[in-house]
Amino acid sequence: MLISILLVIPLITAIACVFIKKHNISKYISVAGSFTLLLYNIYLSYNIYLNHSLKELNGFFYVDALSLLTAQIVSVVGFAAALYSIGYMDAELHEAEFPEKRLRWYYFLFHIFIFTMLAVCVTNNLGIMWVAIEATTLSTTFLVGFYNKKPHQEAAWKYIIICTVGITLALFGVILTYHSSKDVIGEIGHALNWTDLLAVADRFEPHTMKLAFLFIIIGYGTKAGLAPMHTWLPDAHSQAPSPISALFSGVLLNCSLYGIIRFHIISSKCLGPNYSCTLLMAFGLISVIVSIPFILVQRDYKRLFAFSSIEHIGFIALGLGFGGMYSIYGAELHTFNHAVAKSLLFFCGGNLFLKYKTREMESIKGIIRTMPVTGVILIIAVFAITGIPPFNIFVSEFIVLADAFSSGSAFVLIFTSLLIVFLVLIFIGYINNIFKMIFSEPTDNIVRGEVNKFTIAAMCFLLVFVLIISFYVPPIMREILSQISDIIRNT
Amino acid sequence: MKQHIIVNSQTIDVLAVMMLMATVLHISTSRLTTCVWAYAIRSFILACASGLIAYYSGIYHIFITTGITLVIKVVIIPGFLFYIIKKVGIKKEVESYLSFTLSLLCSCGVILIAYYATEPIIRFESTFMRHCLPVSIAITLVGFFTMITRKKAITQILGLLAMEDGLFFAALSTSYGMPLIVELGVFFDILVSVIIMGIYVYRIKETFETTDTGFLRELRE
Repeated sequence: MLISILLVIPLITAIACVFIKKHNISKYISVAGSFTLLLYNIYLSYNIYLNHSLKELNGFFYVDALSLLTAQIVSVVGFAAALYSIGYMDAELHEAEFPEKRLRWYYFLFHIFIFTMLAVCVTNNLGIMWVAIEATTLSTTFLVGFYNKKPHQEAAWKYIIICTVGITLALFGVILTYHSSKDVIGEIGHALNWTDLLAVADRFEPHTMKLAFLFIIIGYGTKAGLAPMHTWLPDAHSQAPSPISALFSGVLLNCSLYGIIRFHIISSKCLGPNYSCTLLMAFGLISVIVSIPFILVQRDYKRLFAFSSIEHIGFIALGLGFGGMYSIYGAELHTFNHAVAKSLLFFCGGNLFLKYKTREMESIKGIIRTMPVTGVILIIAVFAITGIPPFNIFVSEFIVLADAFSSGSAFVLIFTSLLIVFLVLIFIGYINNIFKMIFSEPTDNIVRGEVNKFTIAAMCFLLVFVLIISFYVPPIMREILSQISDIIRNT
Repeated sequence: MKQHIIVNSQTIDVLAVMMLMATVLHISTSRLTTCVWAYAIRSFILACASGLIAYYSGIYHIFITTGITLVIKVVIIPGFLFYIIKKVGIKKEVESYLSFTLSLLCSCGVILIAYYATEPIIRFESTFMRHCLPVSIAITLVGFFTMITRKKAITQILGLLAMEDGLFFAALSTSYGMPLIVELGVFFDILVSVIIMGIYVYRIKETFETTDTGFLRELRE
């Protein structure tokens, strides 16, 4: 029952939200639902921390440290986004950007989105995982096109078409995995269960498995925003309402990456780690490279943050691809750090949009004078996301790079050295773009002061996580991360 | 272990080739309604093939997926697409970045690639339907090709459906379909995604006054 309740909470919240037309009531229900989810998830984590893994319903649900971390990110960022939504949507409603009755669909889809992402994390069946990842696309299409104007519709159409095609390719990967396992497992109901597949993965047909992993990384990679399949990402991230962009960047990309990791583990056992690690490294490096020019010349801040997500997902893929114990530890820590820091950035971006009504960086001036709190948080978030010490992303990037340098393989060394150069370039692009907005004379016609106290509360909630990890990784998190490292390395 | 089941593979082969022909019909016609009909026909043949496989192999859950295929892919989805076409009132027929003869030629090339690419895999196969895997890959790739070259939003949806059909047939022919619960989930996702895309076709038509996706070019650097 433990895991099923985790899925039931967002479903109930979603259904409750759809029946309430008044935003004054539904916003509190939405926040209460996601807060319950957060608390319950902590309780569940404690259980799994004690038992290492948990199975339910004949092995239909399976939670171990890896799924736990992803689910934890979903609930933390989900709660922050629900809190932020109150303030953001109140302000937008005040401006009459859309009719009030559309908001109940916003909250409904918001919680369905959370539900599908949790389903990705807790299911043991790789086929159901595919269904859930496709369901994340379907539940968010209307959120991307929420304002229903020309650019939003364009972004939504690109999003659904590109992601659905990508995920259809991943379905072929799932079919091929099923096929290569069939001679070993036989045709039984739980034939696609990850745990059962892993147990016998070394006897799979290697040719089919190779092809399967290739399709998986292309397919789920489309959803995870790995270049060159990333083209939907900047459009969807920039056109969606800010809380949704935060969920996209912080959580959705991780969920798809989680799908890749599950297949990576199977494929490593079947073919040896080299094949899938090389693919992950290649796609990771391409993603980092592709994002650089766009970050350097970007004029729209939400697109800037979106391209930086491509860079960070690329970095995580690289860390997983290096394959050392500490680089995987670092990559998974990076997943968490990126999720909280990037969501924080998108929240700052949302506040800017509410205040200045534009996404052009040139027309925003003097944030620190007009909105001091947002300004300070924005500075911290930018330093964090570019990997400046002592902030959290520096910690995880340092762990990954240090492990890569100590691995001794010339191939990995070249990759890592290139990566450091790229990280510096990205830092320059960020500072150049953002600091002009923060420290300059404000234009006169802007009213000073923060937009909304709910948005600030949500930002402070995430800021706490950024700051804690910056100085101290709690022992429970360290334990979970090293368990993940063991799971991925299959030792 | 169902390897010993003997299925009348010639019938299945003929059905597979008919499905491929329906896909090629979809590429070569210029009328949108004919494209939807081609999709409905291919789905019907797919349902027949899956019913035959269920009958010969005696795996009961394939009967269920056959039934769902008949309901969703042969009746609901084509019906919905016809409804959308009528509601949007598309006057201009299928438009393509390539001419029809050229796209026919390309799809022939794609089919050849599918046969060539699957050769190393099916060499190891002992399953009964060696010809079905290349055909299903070919249908998937031709679907992909239509998505790339066609301008209209509805033809892109049809290309996506072709890809999904191809994969469904691949799963059926290589491993007697996926576990039932997964198949149900896949059907649900496909149905919902077609409905959402249909709604967006309508909305795009309302705001852009065309369903030509070539006009969706505002968002870029």
